[in-house]
Amino acid sequence: MRSLRALFLKISGMFSRRRRDWEMEHEFQAHLQMQIDDNIRSGMNAEEARREALLKTGGLEAARENYREQGGLPFLETLSQDVRYGARMLRKNPGFTFVAVLTLALGIGANTAIFSVVNAVLLAKLPVAEPDRLVALWETESSPGNFPFAAPDYLDWQAQNQTLESSVLYRGTRPINGSHNGESQSVMAMATQATYFSVLGVKAQIGRTFLPGEDQAANRHVAVLSYGFWLKSFAGRQDALNQTLELDNEKYSVIGVLPEWFRFPLRAEVFIPLDMNEKALPPRGTHGYLAMARLKKGVSSQQAQADLATIAARLEKQFPNSNNKVSAVVVPLAEQLVGNNRRKLLLLLAAVGAVLLLACANVANLLLAKATGRQKEMSLRAVLGASRRRVVRQLLTESVMLSLSGGLIGLAAGVWLVKMMEASQQLPIPRHNAIQIDQTVLLFTFLLSVVVGVVFGLAPAFQAAKAELGEELKSTAQTVVNASRFTRLLRDGLVVAELSVSLVLLVVAGLLLHSFVRMNRTDLGVDPQNVMTGLLILPDAKYPTQEARGRFCDRLLQDVHGLPGVQSAALSTEIPPEGGWNGSIEVPSDKDPAHASQLVEYNYVSPGYFKTMGIPLKRGAIFTPADMERAAAINLKLVELYKQNPALTSVPPELTVSTIINSTMARMYWPNQEAVGKTFKGAGLSLQVVGIVGDVKQFGARSLPTPQAYFPLPLNQDSSSFGAILTVKSTGSPESVVAGVRGRLRDIDGSLAFFDPRTMDTVIAQNIQDASLETWMFGSLALLALVLASVGLYSVLAYLVSQRTREIGIRMALGAQPGHVLKLIMKHALALTTLGIVLGVLATLLATRLMEGMLFGVTQHDPLTFFGVVGVLTAVALVACYVPARRAARVDPLVALRYE
Amino acid sequence: MGEKTDVWQGTLALMVLKTLESMGPQHGYGIARRIEQTSGDQLQLNYGTLYPQLLKLEQEGYIASDWGVSENNRRARFYRLTRAGRNQLKKETRDWEQATAILARFLSPKEPA
Repeated sequence: MRSLRALFLKISGMFSRRRRDWEMEHEFQAHLQMQIDDNIRSGMNAEEARREALLKTGGLEAARENYREQGGLPFLETLSQDVRYGARMLRKNPGFTFVAVLTLALGIGANTAIFSVVNAVLLAKLPVAEPDRLVALWETESSPGNFPFAAPDYLDWQAQNQTLESSVLYRGTRPINGSHNGESQSVMAMATQATYFSVLGVKAQIGRTFLPGEDQAANRHVAVLSYGFWLKSFAGRQDALNQTLELDNEKYSVIGVLPEWFRFPLRAEVFIPLDMNEKALPPRGTHGYLAMARLKKGVSSQQAQADLATIAARLEKQFPNSNNKVSAVVVPLAEQLVGNNRRKLLLLLAAVGAVLLLACANVANLLLAKATGRQKEMSLRAVLGASRRRVVRQLLTESVMLSLSGGLIGLAAGVWLVKMMEASQQLPIPRHNAIQIDQTVLLFTFLLSVVVGVVFGLAPAFQAAKAELGEELKSTAQTVVNASRFTRLLRDGLVVAELSVSLVLLVVAGLLLHSFVRMNRTDLGVDPQNVMTGLLILPDAKYPTQEARGRFCDRLLQDVHGLPGVQSAALSTEIPPEGGWNGSIEVPSDKDPAHASQLVEYNYVSPGYFKTMGIPLKRGAIFTPADMERAAAINLKLVELYKQNPALTSVPPELTVSTIINSTMARMYWPNQEAVGKTFKGAGLSLQVVGIVGDVKQFGARSLPTPQAYFPLPLNQDSSSFGAILTVKSTGSPESVVAGVRGRLRDIDGSLAFFDPRTMDTVIAQNIQDASLETWMFGSLALLALVLASVGLYSVLAYLVSQRTREIGIRMALGAQPGHVLKLIMKHALALTTLGIVLGVLATLLATRLMEGMLFGVTQHDPLTFFGVVGVLTAVALVACYVPARRAARVDPLVALRYE
Repeated sequence: MGEKTDVWQGTLALMVLKTLESMGPQHGYGIARRIEQTSGDQLQLNYGTLYPQLLKLEQEGYIASDWGVSENNRRARFYRLTRAGRNQLKKETRDWEQATAILARFLSPKEPA
């Protein structure tokens, strides 16, 4: 408390300095007089008394200084002096100030924006209660990797575990047909066990979330809305509660609206309860559910995993068929959400950091040039009694002022960039926290600005402090003071560093660009030209049976086929490159143990699929209408059989259905044999190969071709909430087809939506969108780096030339040719460039190690990229050097000698 | 600033407070003379040491000051002890006695059994 009071008085003391000084003088005067009086009383004469008194009371000036320091805050007083002086210097050089502030703003702005992403994705916690205790649960299977849940396994885990406080089973967010106030629309819905919000610890903003027991068939027609959906579909009205929302032809009553910040999962608009009745859930072995849990206090995710693995091992013994090798994986939820974004984000942060370093180097260079011109001023200050520390402090204050101004403008740019990123739907990063400029980001930007100011200000300040006292004052004849050897080395070093850093960035960007071009050129095995795609989902209420679904599909295909300009149309459960279902198969003749864990991609298609997608038939035949009818009939029988015996393992041979496989699968299971006509088991079916088609990259350009089997579409039409993708190939533009499809759809069933219509070109572009975004981001950073480095090179050489004008003049007066002078300057430039490139290549070899997994079709040491980048950098560097070198060669000796 | 000065300033504060307690309100010169006399002229105080210390004590609220007239008719600033200063003096005296007692035990030649 006492020291606080003293501090307060000191601060107020700063403003009443004049009065305090006046009092001090009087007090000191009185003290001296009293001493003199005493001395006289003790018998001295006036002269003697005064001298003795002065000796005794000590140095007056030092006393004043001590007193003032005690009275105010000398640090702050000097600072305000320095700031005033700095502002004057910066105003006096508006050109320099403008360039320096702009350069810094660029660097700091980019860093602010990227850091705010890192802050939201990597640093900030999920905005729910105690997020550290949340974990994602997965199952394993015979194939490597984490798999979704089989619902009955989950129920056992939930009942028997010792380590989880609560848990929730839910399905991935998917589109369903919604209608409200008679308007039909596609709604992104998530079906979940009623515990979802209590596990997360999230309360509704309006109304309530699910109650226990609402995940049972009788009570499950309630819906919780996301804030965004509430605004969109209910205009944010308070009376949305208890209103009715129709989803897939079933009526749901709205019970609550979630807070605005809640966005997990990101795309979910409506949450509805899952029917958790064991009979309503699919059997063991069908892995289609996600799960999440809250750990008990003090339990680690490893402990939970061990606990759940024990239960899974018991289940494996109990159900050897369905639960072979099914065990537990527990991943902290935060880790799960960040996924492989961590490395990419850190690489991006490193790249913007490098750009900021370049900006610093350039500003340091400018300051060094300016400081050389200011040496005389510094010497004068030193002669007048300024300590070395004081001079350094003055210069650092100036550079921090520069960087703070840059930081302020950079922050404004950062705010703009962050707004853009937050609004962009395409940024391929987890977005459970809003990307925003919060306190952490503000603090980061502020500290960054200060540190940056000190970093680039140190070099010139250090140089100024080395200035020899009075040495500069003597050289009054010389207007341009030659930079010291130290400064020249420092500036050359900065340029070399700039060149090598920009080389690293250019190579990273170049590799990404090269890999992106490769990806774009990759043959996916389909012909995307003029193909339109869109999703259809048939609600169970209106289409409860396989027959009803089959009738709808046949009618739709027929109608769409009749549209003008349509060449062919098909329905399929998957399209490349968006992945799909898979499973393991059993080939009687195949004994290769390596195939034991091999998964085969499943796609249920109508016969027109191969023509529509342009997938070539290699051998055998495409499905015929008869194949389809037979498959439908067989499937009905199979459903009957499975109903009688859920554990059915062998299907009677007369129920074998036709299947089409791809070349990779034919090669893998029937090498050097005719695969057409062979039979195998998979997807609970007995199958016979009727045709072999070309490979398709089902998971996009980056994936390897996998074995793939195509089944007749009716085999999937017994599944509830049946959905399929309609693909249409037309002669004209694919967009023109959409209106026609919607029209036909209205004629058949007005309540159905045609979800997410996209051209096949768009689908493919979206699949490599993250790569295109990465390329774009690193590319623009690398370009920025190139510009900064060449400006740095240029300014160093231009300054060198201006310093050596007199020397060059003398050389030319003595007979040197312009060619010699050009060579002289270029030699210096080439030495710097070469050194920069050599160091840069070495650094790049280290840096590109981090890019593993980000590249496609090119290695991290792709020679084409390396040589290309070195070529570009050399060319740009030469241009940056040539301009000042030519100026040097054109120096008129007479003018140069008079230059002084 | 070395350690020596810190210790010196710490003890100076105590001396100033004690002087003001025993003499009543007093100007800077008077305080300096009194401290010098009490120390048997072993200590010498100049402006540079005394006045910043007085200012510090005043900022901390242990002493207060007013302008007045000295015994031989000179305008001078008189310092007096505040209530907080009196408490502080008691506390510091206690601390000091304790510290010297401990130190004395260390320095005394005989070890108590």
